[in-house]
Amino acid sequence: MSPRTQTLLAEFYDRNKKIITALLAIVLVFILGQVVVSGFLTIHQVLITMKLASFIALFGLCQMLVMSAGGAGLDLSVGYTATITAIFTASVMNGANSNLWLAILIAIGIGLVVGLANGLLSAYVKLPSLVVTLAMSQILQGTINVYTAGRLISGKPSPVLQILAAKASGIIPNIVLLLLTVTVVVMVILYRTKLGATLFGVGENETAAYLSGINTRRVRTIAFTMSGIIASLIGLLLIGNMGVAFKDMGSDYVLPSIAAAVVGGVSLRGGNGNYVGVVLGAILLQTVLNLLVALGWGDAGKWTGFGIVLYVLLMAYVGNRRKR
Amino acid sequence: MKILEATGIEKHFGGVTALAGANLQAERGKITGLLGANGSGKSTMTKIISGVHAADAGEVWFDGRVVKYASPHDAKRDGIAVVYQNLSLVANLTVWQNIVLGNERKDKLFVDDHHAREVSRHIVEELLPGLDIERQVSGLSPGELQIVEIAKAISEEPKLLILDEPTAALELAQVKSLFSHMRRLAQRGIAIVFTSHRLWEVMDICDDTVIFRNGENVASVDLDKDGRDTEKIIGYITGEMEKSRAAVKKQTSPEQESVLEIKGLSHGGALHDISFRLRRGEILGVGGLAGQGQRELMLALAGFYPDLTGDAILNGKRTRLTRPKYAIKNNILLVPGDRELEGLFLQHSVYSNIVFPKLSEPKEPLFMPRSKYREECRETVDALSIKIGGLNLPVRTLSGGNQQKVVVGKWLSFNTEVLLLSDPAKGVDVGAKRDLYEYIVNRVRESKMSVILYASDNEELVDYCDRVMIMYEGRIVEVLEGDEIQADRIIESSMHVEDKPERK
Amino acid sequence: MESNTQGTSRKFRQLFAKPEYSSILMLVVMIVLAAILQRNFFRPSSLILTIDAFSPLILLTMGQAVVMLSGSFDLSSGAALSLYTCVLTWIMKTGEPFSGVVALLVTLAVAILVGIINGFGAGYMRVSSVVVTFATAYVWLGIGLFIRPTPGGDSVNWFNAFYDFRNVEGAPQIFQNLGAFLPPVLLLVLLACGIWYVISRTRLGRYIYAVGGNEESAYRSGINTARVQIAAYVINSIFVFLAALFFVGQNQSGDARFGDPFTLRTIAAAVVGGIALTGGKGSVYTALVGAVIISLVNKVIFFANISYAYGTLVAGLIVIVAIAGPQIYQIYNKRSAEIKRSPA
Repeated sequence: MSPRTQTLLAEFYDRNKKIITALLAIVLVFILGQVVVSGFLTIHQVLITMKLASFIALFGLCQMLVMSAGGAGLDLSVGYTATITAIFTASVMNGANSNLWLAILIAIGIGLVVGLANGLLSAYVKLPSLVVTLAMSQILQGTINVYTAGRLISGKPSPVLQILAAKASGIIPNIVLLLLTVTVVVMVILYRTKLGATLFGVGENETAAYLSGINTRRVRTIAFTMSGIIASLIGLLLIGNMGVAFKDMGSDYVLPSIAAAVVGGVSLRGGNGNYVGVVLGAILLQTVLNLLVALGWGDAGKWTGFGIVLYVLLMAYVGNRRKR
Repeated sequence: MKILEATGIEKHFGGVTALAGANLQAERGKITGLLGANGSGKSTMTKIISGVHAADAGEVWFDGRVVKYASPHDAKRDGIAVVYQNLSLVANLTVWQNIVLGNERKDKLFVDDHHAREVSRHIVEELLPGLDIERQVSGLSPGELQIVEIAKAISEEPKLLILDEPTAALELAQVKSLFSHMRRLAQRGIAIVFTSHRLWEVMDICDDTVIFRNGENVASVDLDKDGRDTEKIIGYITGEMEKSRAAVKKQTSPEQESVLEIKGLSHGGALHDISFRLRRGEILGVGGLAGQGQRELMLALAGFYPDLTGDAILNGKRTRLTRPKYAIKNNILLVPGDRELEGLFLQHSVYSNIVFPKLSEPKEPLFMPRSKYREECRETVDALSIKIGGLNLPVRTLSGGNQQKVVVGKWLSFNTEVLLLSDPAKGVDVGAKRDLYEYIVNRVRESKMSVILYASDNEELVDYCDRVMIMYEGRIVEVLEGDEIQADRIIESSMHVEDKPERK
Repeated sequence: MESNTQGTSRKFRQLFAKPEYSSILMLVVMIVLAAILQRNFFRPSSLILTIDAFSPLILLTMGQAVVMLSGSFDLSSGAALSLYTCVLTWIMKTGEPFSGVVALLVTLAVAILVGIINGFGAGYMRVSSVVVTFATAYVWLGIGLFIRPTPGGDSVNWFNAFYDFRNVEGAPQIFQNLGAFLPPVLLLVLLACGIWYVISRTRLGRYIYAVGGNEESAYRSGINTARVQIAAYVINSIFVFLAALFFVGQNQSGDARFGDPFTLRTIAAAVVGGIALTGGKGSVYTALVGAVIISLVNKVIFFANISYAYGTLVAGLIVIVAIAGPQIYQIYNKRSAEIKRSPA
């Protein structure tokens, strides 16, 4: 092997190290699960895992966008954005397809407003996005509280959404197919178009990008806006999956979405982002979650487990202690 | 009497060898110069000695025993102090708090502020009388910051003092003051290691000098005994005898017509009422002492300051310079002064870096034409002789000089009217520096591109510029032309003092 | 040399530009507003209630301030608070006074461990503190749920002393008298102030500011930045622990979820109190003032008769305004200052 090939291989491994690790880890956890609980490693289980993981992966896309844009970006409001959209559009759709287009419009509108607010405050006012989006999620939660005070959430999703989110084509859940499509589209945009290259540049070095003629604040605001819109659209999928809307639909997804992005190799500092990694990260996390549930550890175990897993993953992947 | 002996030091970072068996000695009471191009390993050497890095092989002997420091703190405790280029000051603390930072005396449980103030006052008086030690460091000028940094190192009464390019931000008077303080310290028996790019400084202050190249020291010159032969030393640094510089001199023939007219440019406290004309095909130099607003002027012309006031007239048309986008649209392109902070995406590939400016051009297609761009990249790499391992390798793996070529290279495919060069050869080895200037001068001659060149090294101004504007405190105080452009004339003009405003 | 009057007026303006002094001004304004809306605001009994209501946020904010000064954030404050109440009420057994002592010591140890874990991730491994503490918050929540799936638990009688001296059976008469006008939580706050006073005068105190101001510079100066950040988190944990003592003293029960809403408000309160989001600037004492201000704002809104459902919504809005306000003000100020500095 020529030294040049060696260097190239080394670079490939280095750059994709995290994805390769994630893949191996998924296999490992499945095997572990099978050892501990029989029936863990079956086609059926794998497919269910992938279906549930798809939601995490989609929220993970939101996180990846804002993380890649740099400046320690995070979007903690994705959960409640999805929830509020689900709740508002439930009664609009009312179980029929006729108003689906309106529901989608409303979803985009909500996502746009939330994302734009997050983006402006983070990119232009330069507040830490973590605090901004956390406060935003509280505002959304509060709005939901006001809206649902003394009122029942009525309405059901349109059948199209239900088919998309809950049902399967053959043995493969439709949402997994949706995820695959999204993955391809996202990867193409990120790595083949100006948009992706610009995003990564802004995240990697905002000053250099600015001096190269990019409106960096606008790019970051757009990242947050896209995150909001995508989260909002996921809300439609959530209600499609569950059949009804309820107050805490989305909040359980926030932590896993960030974890998936981190596991998938997205740098917290920005400048890079491989969505395939995020998807694998989501699958890994869902697998771990299934294991915890299979062990009968309920809510407490779920949160402790997740928290510990994320903590450990952060130490392993993002940990940057002073080397000598 | 020897106090430091480092032998056979090896250090590798990933696949890059920074040091390949290098040696360094220092003696009590002597000032040793450390010379070498960027990437020669001299910076790594000082970092190993001061405990920032651990050597992969070799031995460091200090003050009677072999040492292997686990952290800079251990080295400090042993009596090794370092003055950095990248400052180690904390902005929101005061001068005296910074001077004793990490080294505070305790009064039982609490910090002894009284002692700290005393020590600080004493040192500051010697180095920069008049500086108020109660001031927050965030409000100081670059020169004052460097002095505080030096004061901090000295306050620990080290046995070995390492100064890593300490004079970059200093005015001539401050450099002289620093040198006399260094001599005093040497007389007290302290060993000093002094690294600098500026040959004349090393000639002035050092007793002997060691020259590094490619991770080894290639020569050791005792300046007192062997004399101060500049040419020979440059030869050691570059590994070849310097060709006559006159070959590249004054080959440009600027026209009379103005390509750019600037009137009344002002920005904050850094630029005051700047006006000048740039002629087509001209290389206009910007000189003066460090930190007089030259970098800010370059950034301003590139559109970096949204609140910039004044007029810019390009080819007869009024142009706005409040956004980089406007400057770029008018083909005013900047090679920024700090390539790591302003010019490069360190983690991204060479390809990505070179291609990036195209992304803001609306005429470039949404789906990037991969093969076309890669072809253009290769042309750029060839045109500038950039030494890379491959287009896909991250740009941080390149040496300083080659990184700088990438920063220049990304504008190559653009139709440049005005090229702004902000200290392009800073920290760049002699070979790369020559390549860069050769390319630029050729472009100017062939396509009548106009250049504004800020160089901290006056030699570059002398060699390449048709005219030189001297800046002082944000204003242009003199413009030198033709035969007036000589090193001593530049220095004289740089020290221009009219009504020096009172310092707080 | 400037004339004397010019110098004085400039000094005056500089004084008010400092965030510490503007927060005191805000405090005065809020107190006046509150007193107007709540007629009996200054009556001892309602003052005590107010202090009781405000103090937990004050303690948590002081802790958050220390962490923020060192350049980090702690998003697990609220969850940790909940965890400590769960641990306390899990170890204590009603009717066994000594179990209270054990519970106190064990929980203190847990608090220190919590601080070390947070600090290790954020300070030693140098992972973004927001993500680390975001993760650990779930760990504290999960452990809390393990111990206390539903709110409840045991408490011993003397623990009530953390809430009201008068509630302790068999206490000497002096306690009964004290209890009438001195809320014990005030002593906890004073204890926290005392702890910080001592620490701020030591090298650790100086280093917390240095690390928060510029971690790289601090490291180059030989400071063990990881240790300093861990220490900051541990100090924070101790302050949260004190708040937990109060809550258990008040409610005699532990709850794994009740602390969540606090976390965000501590950050808002710290910022209002002059702590810089970027670290290294501000004072823990004015952060205390910030907590009082935020609490008063909530109180004023409550008294303006807005329905409870709006509570969360308003809280979120307050946070945004609280942190965006000074930032926008600064940006605006910087711009006008630059314009002023243009040549005459």
